[in-house]
Amino acid sequence: MNTLQAFKMAFKSISAKKMRSFLTMLGIIIGVASVVILVSIIQGQNKKNLEYLESQGTNTLSVSAYKWSGGDISQDLYNYCLGLSDLVVGVTPKIQVYNEMTVRYSTNTMSTNDSWETAAQVVLGSDQYGLCNNYTLKSGRDLSYLDVARYSNVCVLGGGAAERLFNYVDPVGRSITINGSPYLVIGVYEKKNVDGWPEMDNLILLPYTLNRTLNDNQTISEYSVKAVSASAADEAAVRLQGYLTALIPESSGYAYIQNNNANMASMDALLNSQSLVLIGIAAISLLVGGIGIMNIMLVTVTERTREIGIRKAIGAERRSIIAQFLIEAAVICGIGGIFGIIVGYMGTLIAAKMLLDMIMMPGTAITIGAFLFSVVLGILFGMYPAIKASGLQPVEALRAE
Amino acid sequence: MLIEIKDIYKIYNEGRESEVRALNGVSLSIDRGEFVAIVGQSGSGKSTLMNVLGCLDIPTYGDYWLDGVDVTGLSDRQLAHIRNKQIGFIFQGYNLIQELDALENVILPLIYQGVPIWEREDRAMEALARVGMDDRAHHRPSEMSGGQQQRVAIARAIATHPSIIMADEPTGALDSKTGQHVLEILRELYRGGTTVILITHDNGIAATARRVVRLSDGMVISDDAQEVDWE
Ligand SMILES: Nc1ncnc2c1ncn2[C@@H]1O[C@H](COP(=O)(O)OP(=O)(O)O)[C@@H](O)[C@H]1O
Ligand SMILES: [Mg+2]
Repeated sequence: MNTLQAFKMAFKSISAKKMRSFLTMLGIIIGVASVVILVSIIQGQNKKNLEYLESQGTNTLSVSAYKWSGGDISQDLYNYCLGLSDLVVGVTPKIQVYNEMTVRYSTNTMSTNDSWETAAQVVLGSDQYGLCNNYTLKSGRDLSYLDVARYSNVCVLGGGAAERLFNYVDPVGRSITINGSPYLVIGVYEKKNVDGWPEMDNLILLPYTLNRTLNDNQTISEYSVKAVSASAADEAAVRLQGYLTALIPESSGYAYIQNNNANMASMDALLNSQSLVLIGIAAISLLVGGIGIMNIMLVTVTERTREIGIRKAIGAERRSIIAQFLIEAAVICGIGGIFGIIVGYMGTLIAAKMLLDMIMMPGTAITIGAFLFSVVLGILFGMYPAIKASGLQPVEALRAE
Repeated sequence: MLIEIKDIYKIYNEGRESEVRALNGVSLSIDRGEFVAIVGQSGSGKSTLMNVLGCLDIPTYGDYWLDGVDVTGLSDRQLAHIRNKQIGFIFQGYNLIQELDALENVILPLIYQGVPIWEREDRAMEALARVGMDDRAHHRPSEMSGGQQQRVAIARAIATHPSIIMADEPTGALDSKTGQHVLEILRELYRGGTTVILITHDNGIAATARRVVRLSDGMVISDDAQEVDWE
């Protein structure tokens, strides 16, 4: 076969008409670039969400529950979960302190009012907060039941907060001040390093019983519950919902349970449905590009009728002629695809930075997929012009100017 | 007989007012190793006859045996093989592919013949050397004179060692000196055993052929053997 020669010929005729070739490729370039960017951004968004959920740990339930009157339900919930010990391994309030707080060690400070990437995340929780929220201890010890019961002025730092306040000094055993009051650092958590969620590592965890002194005794309504397994999480969610509904009649408060496993599953489903929409967009924009290719290939065949006649006269079979023009169409589309991918990479970098505040590149699958799709597109839309070219009668073709 | 045609008609727009009988019942036999000139005035049907003989065109009516094979029943693909292996064409307008250099043009029929890639270039260079164009292997047609282009076209025609060379007014676009050179190459091929069919409207050129077939209005009006001085 004359594959190599057909490739050479294809590059020759493309470079002989650079402007026309470029304009022909433009449709493919734009189509491929927009698909690469859209797919990458959606994948990035989903990855970010999934990573967040995963960093929260699997098999966790987020409980929002509050009773208008009669004090908070923390103790009730805690006692009920003790009774579910074959399903539940931990339960904690989760109170984010939004009042302005300045955290200081030596000359280093962090504030709850800093920009979101660096702001101190002052959170009140129980001795099971770390467990329920998927933190692992790096040094020192976690909050204890006694710390909670005794309103101890102690704290555990997230990896990011520890670095920011202490640089490379070991924080355990040293004191920080929060709005001037001293708190003893008893432990440090490992950094989670989740892309796009730096705040998770800026944690400053205090016993939730300090809610009264530190947080104007704000209402406690958010809890995390950690189950032993996925099925236990499902079971615990049902039981807790039953218990809380009985505890908090509809008119006197609310109780809402969210299973983070289910969240992850629905995130996957969302990804799939978004991908479908994208395939639709891709199909339309690339169809337009493909029609452009077909048009230009028809023009090319007409212009090169005489060449086709010469080739036939010296013994080219129909399939050699078809192969030649298919390869030419595929090469144009393949080059267009490569340019499109390059533009798509740049666009993804920019869009991801602007929309998601992430540094990200399109994945290998989408890159290879986009290239192959361009080539296939060229072959599909080059088919009709190629067959038309191959069907010319040698004498007729030779007569052409 | 290498070539045998019987009652060949090529009729354009048959049955209509504009009907043209480019070939109007031509019968002809050509033996292996002959040098035949087909002469006639412009419009007498010479090119049409060559196209039919060369399997580039299909006659409206008539029979054609090439080397004993009934050509009228062959498929597109089989005809392509015949054009590739048995026949070499030389046209008045050279018909080289402009985007390819001389060597690439000569290699083309070898590619279609399936000659292995490592042999193609040697064989093409050998053909170019036979027409004295091996020193221009990497020139494009636009960088060569008419005579040089025609010699490259001859190299392309002989690269596959066909048994028949068909030349349609090969000197028509050349001055008489370069024309003579081209004709000399054809005679050389003939001496080597190749069957040469030379089409011309020039009686002077026809006079140098062993056998002269005269066409007029799509019909053979004479078919004579003659003595020539160059053999
Ligand atoms: N495609 C065609 N349609 C109509 N008439 C044609 C066509 N091709 C050739 N002819 C006519 O057939 C006749 C013979 O043409 P041709 O074989 O080219 O003559 P020559 O080569 O001897 O000059 C001419 O009258 C020409 O006009
Ligand atoms: Mg003619």
